[in-house]
Amino acid sequence: MINREYKLNVSQYKKMAKESDMSLYSDVLEPFRRVINTEPPKDKLSASTNLNFSDSTQSIKEGLSNLLTFGKRKSSIGSVDDVTPDKRLRRDSSGNGTTAPPSPWETKRLKIDLIAAKAQITKLESRVNHQHTIRKEMQILFEEEKASLIEQHKRDERAVSDMEDRLQLIRRREQELKDEFNTAAKEHKDLKANWDKEKTDLHKQIADLKDKLLEANVSNKDQISEMKKDMDELLQALEGAQSEVEMLKKELVKQTSRAEQCTQLKNQLEKQNFEFQQVTSKLKELEYERDSYKDWQTQSKTAQKRLCNMAELEKEVTRLRANERSLRDAICNKLLLEEQVHQLTSRVEALQPVQLELHEAKVKLSSVESQLESWMSAARAHGVESAGALRDALESALGAQITATADSTQAQSALAHLTEEVATLKYERDKATGKLNDLTTVRKNQESLIHRLQKRLLLVTRERDSYRQQLDCYEKELTVTLCGEEGAGSVALLSARVQQLEKSLQGYRDLIAAHDPHAHSKALESLRNEVTRWREEAEGARRDVTKLRTQRDLLTASLERIGPQTKVLHLTNNPAAEAQKQISKELEAAQEEIKKLKVALREGGAQADPEELQQMRQQLENSRIKLKRMKEEFTSSAQEYRDVCYMLLGYKIDRTGHKNYRISNMYAESSEEYLTFTLCDDGIEMVHTDYSETLGDLLDLHLHQHQSIPLFLSALTMELFTKTTIQHAIE
Amino acid sequence: MSLQQTKNCITLRGSAQIICEYLKFSINSVLFQRGLYPPETFKAENQYGITLLLSEDPQIKSFLTNLLTQSEEWILDKKVKKLSLIILNVANKEVLECWDFNIQYEDGDTALSKEKNEMVGSKDLKKIQQEIRDVMLQVAATISYLPLLDCRCSFDVLVHAKTDCDIPEKWAEAQPVAIANAQNVQLKSFSTSLHKMETVVSYKLAD
Repeated sequence: MINREYKLNVSQYKKMAKESDMSLYSDVLEPFRRVINTEPPKDKLSASTNLNFSDSTQSIKEGLSNLLTFGKRKSSIGSVDDVTPDKRLRRDSSGNGTTAPPSPWETKRLKIDLIAAKAQITKLESRVNHQHTIRKEMQILFEEEKASLIEQHKRDERAVSDMEDRLQLIRRREQELKDEFNTAAKEHKDLKANWDKEKTDLHKQIADLKDKLLEANVSNKDQISEMKKDMDELLQALEGAQSEVEMLKKELVKQTSRAEQCTQLKNQLEKQNFEFQQVTSKLKELEYERDSYKDWQTQSKTAQKRLCNMAELEKEVTRLRANERSLRDAICNKLLLEEQVHQLTSRVEALQPVQLELHEAKVKLSSVESQLESWMSAARAHGVESAGALRDALESALGAQITATADSTQAQSALAHLTEEVATLKYERDKATGKLNDLTTVRKNQESLIHRLQKRLLLVTRERDSYRQQLDCYEKELTVTLCGEEGAGSVALLSARVQQLEKSLQGYRDLIAAHDPHAHSKALESLRNEVTRWREEAEGARRDVTKLRTQRDLLTASLERIGPQTKVLHLTNNPAAEAQKQISKELEAAQEEIKKLKVALREGGAQADPEELQQMRQQLENSRIKLKRMKEEFTSSAQEYRDVCYMLLGYKIDRTGHKNYRISNMYAESSEEYLTFTLCDDGIEMVHTDYSETLGDLLDLHLHQHQSIPLFLSALTMELFTKTTIQHAIE
Repeated sequence: MSLQQTKNCITLRGSAQIICEYLKFSINSVLFQRGLYPPETFKAENQYGITLLLSEDPQIKSFLTNLLTQSEEWILDKKVKKLSLIILNVANKEVLECWDFNIQYEDGDTALSKEKNEMVGSKDLKKIQQEIRDVMLQVAATISYLPLLDCRCSFDVLVHAKTDCDIPEKWAEAQPVAIANAQNVQLKSFSTSLHKMETVVSYKLAD
């Protein structure tokens, strides 16, 4: 690449050099060119052709072509150097040709020159063409070269950019690495510092440990020496102990021998005891035999005594037999008597109702007698002495009564008759009052009618009066007109007439007013009718409205169907559809839940939750166990408490029923010796017992004087203790 | 507002956007006024010079954006005749209320259209917004006479499009709805000079 560039540079340089040469030439040629430019068309033509040619080529190459042309010109200038003056001459001559014709030699020479010049021109042209072709080739070559170079350049640029990127990357990496390095170095420093610290710490620790070790060694040595001392002591003790052991062994041997002797003695003793027991049992047997023998002796003695009394006994036997006979007779009699008693009792039972009847009869009799007495007295009061007279009187009285009853029935019937009559009369009266009412209403109507008629009459009379007045006034008029038409009274007449007419008008007005209420009521009625009519119409209209509405709906629906065809579109996932879905889901879920619950219900609540049940059972079991343990704990602690109380205070306290406590002392002689206390609202009270009565002194002293139960109790313990100890001492 | 406006010049797309914006706000306003969704899910926004409420519910938001972007395309193609916001009882699918948004297509400013070589209108934007504000106020006032919705309700938007309209994805054909014994109330209409929007609410007359 660099090589090529170099080449390019070289070529450029060459070109540049050429150009500079050319510029030199051009400087030289400048005056000639001026001459040529001012000169006529021949040279101009060539120049123009050249220029044209150069125009067709690229502008960059322009300079180059110009140079070429200059070069050509230079070459041509070299060759035409001497021709141009000729030409000028010729032109001059041609300009002057008309004046002096040339000589044949001259013409020939000119022709030759011309030919030569032409040849030279052609040669030069061919050269020029050749140069052009060369230039074109060069140009193409240069362009290719340039393109390649540009590409190369681009590639280079890309490579350079890549390289730069990479460089940046590397730099970044380097930076990072540096940072890392720095951090690492820092870390390293930190770590080093830490380690140094640790190291110093460790060193310190080591030193400490060494000190400790030294101390420990020292202490160990001390300990060892102490221990050695101890050991020596212990060894001495051991030796002492061994000697003792030996002594004790000897003693033991002695003792064992003694023990053997003792056991022998013991065996002998046992044997003796056994013999002794046998002897005692024999003794007991013998004693028993002796006792039974004594019994027999006493029995035999009594039998002898009885035998002695035999005769007396026989007498007695006879006496007893007689006794027996008498007793048997008595028994027979007793049986008879019993039978009699039985009969009598039955009779008595039979007679008892009779007796009752008798009593009743007696009572009746007394009552009858009293009645009779009353009757008799009554009769006496009426002046009748005998029964017959009484009967007569009674009969007469009955007859009188019968007649009276007949009279009363008659009177009653008459009463009924009368009441009937009264009822009919009442009915008639009601009828009459009804008629009267009717008549009064009729009368009222008549009165109103009369009133109206009177009004009418009044009106009519007024009308009649007015008519009459009118008639009068007409008559007057007539008379006036008949009397003659004197203007003097005419005005007064007219005024009077006007007044009259006004009056009549007033009358009409009154009439109309009188007629008015009637008309008013009529109008009211008509209006009412109208109102009802309108209401009906409104009802009808309403019905029509509803009909029309339904019709309108139908028509709109049909219109929509018939009218411009439209599609109704909507989004599939619209809120309504979603809401419906949700509702259906909820419904399903609810139904499922219901099913589940129903199934659960059928299976029964207990089976529904076996795990929970199991848990509950376990819990119950646990709590039971807990309770049991608590109880055990409680009983044991209670027992312990009681024991401690007993041991410390010397009293055993038992609870016998509600608020009753029995306490018995540790040193009591028997279980009968106890005291009872009851818990009251205001303290504790002692209850009398058999034992408490024996403690009169203590009670007096401590309870009545000191009023302290604990003192009493401790005094009691003291006393009992002294007693027991004394007893022990005596024993 | 992405409205291309130079000297009161409204393009067809701009007009369609105005219409869709109106639809968005009016549908939200109806949802709020009729109590279809809890009021705490709505956020106040100042639009057309009045405070309007927009739903914050993501479902409703996505539904409306889907609906309105598609509707805007259809309005540009003049394929939509009307949009119906129907409020129905969820339990028995009974239509209780129907808000019809009728769209009529107008010619706009023909002279200006020729000049611009494009269909344009020349109505003042402020005037259009004034008209829309009047309609929105009327929508808010409807609550005074519309019957109480005392059941669980939901809504749907039906697009009445021309028959030659393609059915895009996620869309489906639906049955037209009709309310028996309906009472119609025509609200004010407004126009962008390219589209005229008529709002009609029809509801079931209480027995």
